[in-house]
Amino acid sequence: MFPANRTAPMGVNWIGLSTMVRREVTRMARVPIQAFIAPWISALLFIFIFGFVVGGRIAGIGGRPYLEFVLPGIVMMNIVNAAFLQSSSAIYFARFIKFIEETLVAPLSYAEMIAGHLSVVVLRATVTGIGIMAMGLFFGATHVESWPLFLFWIVSVSAVFGLAGIVVGLWSQSFEQLNMPVVFFLTPLSMVGGVFNTVDMLPEWLRWLAWGNPFFYFINGLRGAMIGVDETPAGLAVGLTLILLAALALLTWRLFSKGYGLRE
Amino acid sequence: MPIPALRIRNLRKVYRSGNVAVDDLSLSVEEGDFYGFLGPNGAGKSTTIHCITGIAEPTSGTIEIFGLDAVKNYREARRLVGLCPQEFNVDPFASPQQIVDWMGGYFGMGAAERKARVDYLMERFDLTAHRRKQFRELSGGLKRRVVLARALVHDPRLIILDEPTAGVDVELRRVLWRYLAEINQDGRTILLTSHYLEEVERLCRDIAIVDKGRIVRQGSKAEMTGRPGGLEMAYLAATGAEADHVPGQ
Repeated sequence: MFPANRTAPMGVNWIGLSTMVRREVTRMARVPIQAFIAPWISALLFIFIFGFVVGGRIAGIGGRPYLEFVLPGIVMMNIVNAAFLQSSSAIYFARFIKFIEETLVAPLSYAEMIAGHLSVVVLRATVTGIGIMAMGLFFGATHVESWPLFLFWIVSVSAVFGLAGIVVGLWSQSFEQLNMPVVFFLTPLSMVGGVFNTVDMLPEWLRWLAWGNPFFYFINGLRGAMIGVDETPAGLAVGLTLILLAALALLTWRLFSKGYGLRE
Repeated sequence: MPIPALRIRNLRKVYRSGNVAVDDLSLSVEEGDFYGFLGPNGAGKSTTIHCITGIAEPTSGTIEIFGLDAVKNYREARRLVGLCPQEFNVDPFASPQQIVDWMGGYFGMGAAERKARVDYLMERFDLTAHRRKQFRELSGGLKRRVVLARALVHDPRLIILDEPTAGVDVELRRVLWRYLAEINQDGRTILLTSHYLEEVERLCRDIAIVDKGRIVRQGSKAEMTGRPGGLEMAYLAATGAEADHVPGQ
């Protein structure tokens, strides 16, 4: 017969949450080239061309070889892309095929649904980052000065872009819309966010492009954790990232609870 | 007084387009009942089911599942319901085993419990030989079996079947009828929508007919089938449709 406690209030649905993670990991594992090989090859080319070939002719920055200066930016660029693509494609694909209804009819809270997606986002971003760090090690450019800060930047930035990906995945009505943020925001902003240069290298009239760009703070934060070179005022980047994270988490939770893009 | 398995009061659902899909619909399904929910295409059956199960947001009205509000206490309420939808809302690259196992996981079933239940359902619905194939590779009938197994994995107290035998062969239809009759005898409550009137007549004890978002007739099977023409005439009269005049009859 039916378990007597079935109508009792539920606590955290840990099994449901871990099932969401299992399911998304399975989906990610179906596309290893897209998920990992492509960003690793792209990062390898960046490291080789900009860090090794061109960088060999550029004097060091902040007392560090140019390759060491560039590597954190390349890691961050790929973490951002991995995080955003993971969550946006997971949500959009599930909406498009309608199997998102499996989670809607299940006893999962909105927070559990969001946490399930974010866990896989952080996993994918971390594996992507570890692969690039391993390449950097091969070129003798991988250093980590502060492991706590390093972990903070990997986890917080992947969570920020995982949440942004969820919002875009809920909003998109077509694959074209799904790709718009990558083409018009993520790629351009990460390129001009200080991956390859310091603010001082920019003409004075263009420096606002760095200071007004959130990627500038993420890249400098990670660079500070890895090689101790950070152009942003102490604490500002961490504070801005935490504020962004909280705002996006609130927005995502609100969208889930309203059923935006999920329920008819 | 016993708590009904499902109680809907004055349900109204208006889509963003302005289309009123369900309009002031009320019904009550007693625990252990086998309830037929009939109506023409677009009458509001699926929308009502979507509101019960959380796929759609009711515009107004209340839905209670075993006394639990389906909106306010949605997690506790959903734990008691299993839905077999009309459409195949399934990850096409996943295997039947994964699809059913994941659903069990969402409902909080532990690994051992899930494994036993998945094995049982694969066996029961003749899916064992296909359990590791991708869903997209299966025939229509096998796909229907998978979504049925998925709806039943957590052994729900209220089972909602939205046209579960649409497009399936006679063999599966009979397998399913036997299984549904069996679990209904065990105490599960079943809400069934179907366009096959003989199916409803054979399985259900109570019937509601919905048209243009409203219940236009409801009662026991005996009341519906007791008059000349049986359920078909009752259905046609309730929905205002013209009965076909077949030459020679």
